[in-house]
Formats: sequence, structure tokens, C-alpha cells
Amino acid sequence: MKDPMLQGLTRAYENLVHMIADFLPRFVVMVTIILAGLLIAYVLKKTLRSILHLTKLDRISEEAGASHVLRKAAMPSMSEFLSRSLFWITLLGFILLGISVLQIPELQEQIARLFELLPQIFVAILILFVGVLAANFLSRAALLTAVNAGYRSPRVWSGLVRSMIWILAISMALEQVGLARQTVVAAFSIAFGAVMLAVAIAFGLGGRDLARQTLERYLGDKEKEREKEGEPSPL
Amino acid sequence: MAEDSFLTDDLLRQLISVGEVDLLVGLPSHNNAETIGRAVEAIEESFQRAFPRQRVVIVNVDAGSNDRTSEVFLNAVPRKNGNSRGLTSLRTEHRVVTRYENPSSATVFRTIVATADLLRARACAIVSAATPNLTADWIGNLLQPIYRQDYDFVAPLYARQRFDGLLARTLLYPMSRAIFGKRIRELHSTELALSGRLATNCANQNVWHDAPIQDLPQTCIALTAVTSDYRCCQSFLGPKLRPAHVSAPDIVTAVRQAVGALFWCIDSQDSYWIDRSGSEPVPTFGPDHELTDEQVTVNLQRIFELFRSGVAELSPILKAIAAPDTYAEIQRLETLDERNLCFDNALWAKTLYDFAVAYHRTLLNRDHLVQALVPLYRGKIYSFFRQHAASSPSDIEADSENLCLELERQKPHLIEHWKVNSEVKP
Repeated sequence: MKDPMLQGLTRAYENLVHMIADFLPRFVVMVTIILAGLLIAYVLKKTLRSILHLTKLDRISEEAGASHVLRKAAMPSMSEFLSRSLFWITLLGFILLGISVLQIPELQEQIARLFELLPQIFVAILILFVGVLAANFLSRAALLTAVNAGYRSPRVWSGLVRSMIWILAISMALEQVGLARQTVVAAFSIAFGAVMLAVAIAFGLGGRDLARQTLERYLGDKEKEREKEGEPSPL
Repeated sequence: MAEDSFLTDDLLRQLISVGEVDLLVGLPSHNNAETIGRAVEAIEESFQRAFPRQRVVIVNVDAGSNDRTSEVFLNAVPRKNGNSRGLTSLRTEHRVVTRYENPSSATVFRTIVATADLLRARACAIVSAATPNLTADWIGNLLQPIYRQDYDFVAPLYARQRFDGLLARTLLYPMSRAIFGKRIRELHSTELALSGRLATNCANQNVWHDAPIQDLPQTCIALTAVTSDYRCCQSFLGPKLRPAHVSAPDIVTAVRQAVGALFWCIDSQDSYWIDRSGSEPVPTFGPDHELTDEQVTVNLQRIFELFRSGVAELSPILKAIAAPDTYAEIQRLETLDERNLCFDNALWAKTLYDFAVAYHRTLLNRDHLVQALVPLYRGKIYSFFRQHAASSPSDIEADSENLCLELERQKPHLIEHWKVNSEVKP
């Protein structure tokens, strides 16, 4: 009775030792990879931050209105945001690489899928970011143009421009990560087409006078137009 | 020469055959076949009368005309002048043409100053081929102070209708005077003259590709003369008529071009003005100003509505640009009715300085920032029209002087905000 128990315990102990002996080096490798990743991510962050400071990205971002969006979301400046993003993306990559060294089959499969998606997620984030920049810049340009030209409801025009660019950017980002690709493309085409048709019908039927005035403004005699509007010559 | 590759080979070949000159007149043109012949006559007449022995050249920089402007320029026959006594036969009067397709004004002006530099001209005048009433006196008045009295920069002065050129009267002149300390009224005119020294300096500047001065490089040339301590003066030319088929820029375009260029110069030249106060007059040939009393038709109701709707719709942008007390005042104005709106000089000065500081800090895209000033400018001119509907030219002039003094008085406010979190460029 005593022998089988002892044998069982011994086998269990040997298995444990074997497992630990097998696992420990891989764990050490994983920790080493993560630590190396931490160091590399830190160096990359510092390097990118210096490069972005040199290129005056913060100023460009301020001009384009992106910094305003980041501030609203309690985020740091643009160069800080990008360098921190690079740090975390690099570190995450190394953590996943380290975990894959442990050779746990289920984890490895998930990690491989995540690795495949990572570049697409990164590109999608970039698309969204550029979309936010473009939407802010162009909607403000539309607002200023509409206000200074004396058009009615300038904020509606500005909002329309912003929404269109956001819709476009979100569709592109979703398409990039491959989420419901068919649905997104179809939904975007329908939404975009519907808005354009609505604008065309509204402008053509409901706003015939406005259309005529607008065409006159751009194609007609500017001098006569200004005299009609009654503004003095500024220079 | 400033940059070997900048002038075209064809232009360089023409310039080699001209050789060195004493005087150069630059004549930018674009579809001015109707007026350029008269302009050439006026220039030639001026040469015959005032500079009979000097070596001269007229340079036409054409912006892609399709109405044979350059042909008319080359074939224009000088008017016979009874007083010249055949002195023109002592020298050749060269005419040079160069053409670009849709160039910016900066390219046109740069070509002229680079040509003046290359030909070692002692004096260079630039006049618009579109001006229908250009006379020989204009050319003489622009060139004489440089050639005979050793000035480096001559700004023109015009007789104006009292409500004409309000952007210059209410913004460009008062602000440039208060900040740069020189009382030069017309920084943005299409007519000006500069010495060979100044032309060389301008040709060697690295600013010709900067976006804010592409449409109005004259402001930059004038302020280069001021900030580099060249000898500046003003010369009265008379009334300036607008060409029949060329429309003046609308308010938005004029503000974007002229105010954009001025703000850019203020920002890039801050080391010059940051420690200066007050202003000094510059020598003036002829009257300092002349206002005529003609009536103009202005739709004040529309200007008022554009001011009010502009302030309301742009409130988030204006709030970000203006200081809190300035913004509160502007908001108060927006609530007033037509009869009570008065955009006084003190508030206008504060507003302009807040915009200049915001431009310096690039609080938002700089072109957008300048555009956001348009509704406020409309409020100011609305106020100006109401205040001076029955004023005499001297009353208007006195009010303009008060605005200039107010901007000079508030300049420490500008400097204080300018220096916060910023480094003045050496």
C-alpha cells in the first residue's frame, strides 16, 4: 500500500520538476523578451518624440485643430500622443512575442490571429486620426466661408462637411480591419448616395433662387455683385 | 543676382543685351492691352522730361495675358514731347518682356527686384499696367526721391474718396504704424519705388515662397525697408482710378491677403518692434493725405447683419482667439441694435492685438484665423460709416489719428501677451 503511494508521489514530483525544468527557461526567455521590448519601446518613444519635435508636428496639429480634439479628450499633445502610442504598440508586440515562447497551443493560436490583425488595426487608427484632422479643418473652412459670404445656416453646412468626412473615415477604417466588409461598403454607398441625392434635389428644386444667386456670384460680374451687396472697396 | 536659376534664360539673354542701367520701371500686367500702351507712354514721357541722360529700361512681367498685352507693350510708340529737344536720341530705351503662366504676385515682384539687382539699377519703380490714369508725374514722383535724394523706399499716397480704402484706414495703416513705428500710409499699393540697395536686399530674402505674402508681397518689401533701417519716404501721386474691367478684391479676399501679409510680417519681424514704442513721421513729398467728398452707396443694413450673424456663428472661434474681456465686449456689441452699435477705437485696438497674438501662437490655422476677423472688420466699418456719415474729411482724419494713437497706447498690452510662452526670434 505504501509503495504505490510513494511511487505516485515520486512520479508526480518528477513530472512537476520536469515541467518546471521545461517551463522555467521559456519563462525566463519570455521575461527577457519583454524586458528587451520595454527597452526598445522606450528608445523608440524617445527617438520619435525628438523627430516629431524637430518637424514641429505640434504646431501643424494645432493649426489643423487636432490638438483641440486631443485636449477635449484629455489627451496629451500630438507628438506625445504618437510617441506614447508607438511605445505601447511596440511593448504589446514584444509581450505577445514573449507569451508565444511559452508554447501554450491555445494562446499561440490567438496571438497569431492578433499579430495578423495588428497592422490593420494600426492603419485603421491612422485613417480615423487623419479623418478627424480633415473633418475639423474642412468643417471650419466651410463655416468661415459660409459666414463671411452671408449664407444661411452656416453651421449646418459645416456640420454636413464634418459628418461626411467622419462617415468616410469610419467606413474606410472598418473596411481596413475587415469587419463586415460587404455591409460597410454597401451601407456607405447607400448613405453617401442618399445624402448627395438629397442635397442635389434640395438645391435644385427647393433652392432654385439660391442656386441662381450662387452661380451668379461665381460666374457673374463681381463688381456688380458687390455694388448690389453694398460693400465698399476695402483697398 | 539673387538666385541664378530663378530668371528664365530668355529674360537673362534680353538683360545681357541691356547691360547696366540707372533706372528700371517694372510693369506687371495681366490682360491690360487697353491700358498698357498709355502706361508705356507715361513712363517714356517721364524719362524724357526728368531723366534724359540716364540709362533706362522698362520690364514688363506678364502673367499669361491672352489679349496681346506684351505685343502692345513692345509696339507702343513714345509720345512726341516738345520739351525733350531730341534728348532721347542720346540713349536707347530698352523694353524687356518676360511671361509666366498664372504666377503669384510674389513671383512677379521677385522677377522685377531680381532684374533690378542684376542690372545694378540705382532706382526701380513698380507701377501697375492696369492703372488707367498713370501719368509721367507718377513715375517722376516715385523715382526722383531715390535717384536724386538718396532715399531707399518710396511709398505712394493717393487722393481718395473718403470711404474708399477703409481696410487701410482702419487696420493696415494704424496697426503697422503702431507696431513698426513708421507713419507710412500705403504698405500694400501696386505702385512703389525702391533703391538698388533695397532691391538687392529683397532679392536675396528667403521669403518669396512663404504663403502669406504670395498675393501681396508689397507689404513685405515695405516692411523690409522699415525694419532694415533704409531711408523711407512717401510721395503723393494723385487720385487712383480703378480700371474699368478689373474689379477690386472683395472684403474677404482683401482681408485674407492684406491682413495675412501684415500679421505674417509682424510675426516674423518681432525682434525689430518688440522694444520700440511710439511712431515717427516719414518725409513726405506733396500732401500727406487728400480726401474727396463724393457720395457712395453702401448697404449698411447688410453689413450690420453680416457682423451680427458672423459674431454669433463664429463664437467658439472668437472665444478661442480673443482675450476674455475683449470677447465679452464683442458679445455685448452683438446684442445691440443697429442704432446703438459703436465699435470704438479702444475695443478695435484690443481686438486687433488679440488676433495678432493668436496668429503668433498659431491658435488655429492662420488663414482661418484671419478670416475670423472679417465679421469684426464689418462691425468696425459699419460703426465708421454711421459715425462719419456727415463728417468732414478733417473729422475723419482726426478720428483715424485717434485710432493710431490708441493702438500706440495699447502696444504694451500686445508686447506683454506676445512674450508669454514665446521666444522672440533674434
